[in-house]
Amino acid sequence: MFELIDVTKVYRGGKRAVDGVTMSLGPGVLGLLGPNGAGKSSLMRVAATVTRPTSGRVLFEGTDVVARPDVLRRRLGYLPQDFGVYPHLTAREFLSYLAAVKGLSARVARARIDELLTLMHLTEAAKRPLGGYSGGMLRRVGIAQTLLTDPRVLIIDEPTAGLDPEERVRFRNLLSELAADRLVLLSTHIVSDIESVAGDIAIVAHGRVLRRGSPGDLVQTVAGQVWELIVPPSALAAVQARHTVSRMVRTAEGVRLRLLSPDPPAPDAVSIRPDLEDAYLAVIGDVREVVR
Amino acid sequence: MRPGTWAALAVADFRERARRPAYAIVLLAAVGLGYLAVPAAGDHWTIVNAGSYRGVYNSAYVGTVTALAGALWLSAGGFYVIRTAVARDRQTGVGELLAATPMRTVDYLIGKFLSNFLVLASMAAALAVAALAMQLARGESRAVDVVALLTPFLLCTLPVLAVCAAAAIVFETTPVLRGGLGNIIWLFVSLVAVIAGQSGAAPLGGLGVNAFAESLRGDLAAEGFKVTDLALGLMYLDSPPRPVPWSGVDFTAAFAAQRLLLVTLAAAVALLPAFWFDRFDRARRHTGTPRFTMTPPDPGAALTAGIAPPDVTQPPATTVQVPGITRLAQLEGGPARRGWGFGRVVVGEVRILIGGVSKWWWLATLALVVAGIAAPAASSGLLAAAWIWPVLIWSRLGCQAREHGAEGLLDACPGPVVRVLAQWLSGVALTAVVGIGPGLAMAVDGRLAEWLAGALFIPALALALGVISRTQRFFQAVYPLLWYLVINDVGGLDYMGLLPDGPRPGTVVTATTLLLVSALTAVGVRQRLR
Repeated sequence: MFELIDVTKVYRGGKRAVDGVTMSLGPGVLGLLGPNGAGKSSLMRVAATVTRPTSGRVLFEGTDVVARPDVLRRRLGYLPQDFGVYPHLTAREFLSYLAAVKGLSARVARARIDELLTLMHLTEAAKRPLGGYSGGMLRRVGIAQTLLTDPRVLIIDEPTAGLDPEERVRFRNLLSELAADRLVLLSTHIVSDIESVAGDIAIVAHGRVLRRGSPGDLVQTVAGQVWELIVPPSALAAVQARHTVSRMVRTAEGVRLRLLSPDPPAPDAVSIRPDLEDAYLAVIGDVREVVR
Repeated sequence: MRPGTWAALAVADFRERARRPAYAIVLLAAVGLGYLAVPAAGDHWTIVNAGSYRGVYNSAYVGTVTALAGALWLSAGGFYVIRTAVARDRQTGVGELLAATPMRTVDYLIGKFLSNFLVLASMAAALAVAALAMQLARGESRAVDVVALLTPFLLCTLPVLAVCAAAAIVFETTPVLRGGLGNIIWLFVSLVAVIAGQSGAAPLGGLGVNAFAESLRGDLAAEGFKVTDLALGLMYLDSPPRPVPWSGVDFTAAFAAQRLLLVTLAAAVALLPAFWFDRFDRARRHTGTPRFTMTPPDPGAALTAGIAPPDVTQPPATTVQVPGITRLAQLEGGPARRGWGFGRVVVGEVRILIGGVSKWWWLATLALVVAGIAAPAASSGLLAAAWIWPVLIWSRLGCQAREHGAEGLLDACPGPVVRVLAQWLSGVALTAVVGIGPGLAMAVDGRLAEWLAGALFIPALALALGVISRTQRFFQAVYPLLWYLVINDVGGLDYMGLLPDGPRPGTVVTATTLLLVSALTAVGVRQRLR
């Protein structure tokens, strides 16, 4: 359905944001996880035809969309991490404009906009200029515009940033439903978002996909390598120098640490069940070691 | 007094500007100005008209004419380059960070004034280097006198640029002058200032032309030549000017003191906004463009620094029901099909174009329309008024998506060419509405084609300049100048059809077509470069 073949993006000045990424994607949610500057947004911009790759191909249903971007754009819902709106238009006017740009007929656009405004809890605010909207409301308008058409591909960068917890849960459930027969390419820094909707996760750093698999598969890679122990505050720096510490809580007994180590870091360390954050930190930590 | 703060602000701001690609273009423009200032021996054009004479191209003459050209053009045009120092801080949010520091408002204003001055001075430096190169290239005098070359820059150009730097601060921090209206006002203010600054009675030496004129007249009189007028600009001469020896201006200490006083006054003017500058307090001004911008923290840092470990293995406590999304085919009542949305795209572009325009603006527009219908005899004057009135709205064409940050959404939509044409048509619609009154009178006179050509041309010009420059300022600087030249009877530029020796409507439509092609080409090139 959607293929990235040896995609590389090098910006002016020589920064290699995406470095030879090859991925084959079908219906379902693929979550991209990685640190800032890993190349996630660049990869998504290339996939969304907003940025041309320096080399490589992007195929949608067999068509090279680098050469013919409109083939994908007609079936695409795209939400960038940062976006703006026209402040003097109302939400309904803004969505009507984008519906026209995306080629929806007037009657269908009206019905779809009504539906989306209801879905995003924006009906009451629909006639107010967007200039008066809060950050969360603007985000919901952004999400609504991705769904104006029946997108076969949804590319969504940091969709839940700025949403309140209830809105986040609603959006995650919506994504799960949409992903039944669509490709959803989702980038987020919030591990719980990825974990709850993505059946497939790619950990990205330095423009490359370092590891890809289901949440369960990724967690399995660090089984037996996650430990909890309590150390005195004075020993904290030494432990941090030797191990990747994922969490720490100061208690009356000392500092309770959760850390990654292939071997028991101390005789009194207790092996605990790993989670996705541990798996992510293990992969990123390995890369940082190599880079050092 | 906090010179360290001033320097830090000025240098950081200067670095930010100097590292943008546009800065290279600005420097190239300064070099181009140096080329214009020293034409070849047989050329008929000049930027300093001293009758039939000019100085031999030695360091003193080349330095002086390029310095005066710099004082004239770098101050008039450079204003549009530098007047984003405060706006950028507002847009990027850096202003709010600075506002929360102990830095005093006057320190901020001085820092920005110095930054503006640095940008303009760097342009003057490029011009000085170009002047030296031109002296050597023309070859009339190979002797390089650095003092004679640079002193006019120091005493003529830099003080005028300091005034320009201060004016930019005042314009940027004053609510009425901050927007596009300020750009228009500056155009006319600078026109008046340039003319007044060349007069012998100009205070504090004006542009410095008078000192040059007196010196040149004296030297020429000693050689038996007589110079009546001396003017700065870009002028065509019937015959190339004759080179005569000239030793340069003998700048006096009194003149230098006057110029120092001018710089001091400029700095004082730059501080005036301390009385009204809002210091990036959003509550004291219109909130501006909403933009959803969120840069989340490094997840690695967030994870390692977290005190309370999030339990991501548990399902969310809140159960939220999500209704489904109806298939388009169901909404259509049949197979999903695409509609021809061009008309609605144009309607959307019209809404975007006229968004936020006040009712007073519309009332004045109505008055223009009614006056055009009621007084057909005054159609020429009313058309001229009608076709400057929407200048700030036209200037939005071609750069609104960028300025509002909506490019990210629109770039992933199909049909970029359609959107460009729709923007142009929205501008044509606005132009036609504003000019409909005098347009009817012109139609009765059999001049409908002239009116129509103008109505098509203006939005095309705005669109092309907006798409190419990605800012409203370019059109705001260029169009009023074009309009001013036309109403001052420069027939060759008459896009309105007002002057008998103006171009034919077909020529204006051809220019319109070229502008549209330029806009579409710029969009295409930009897409390929992304």
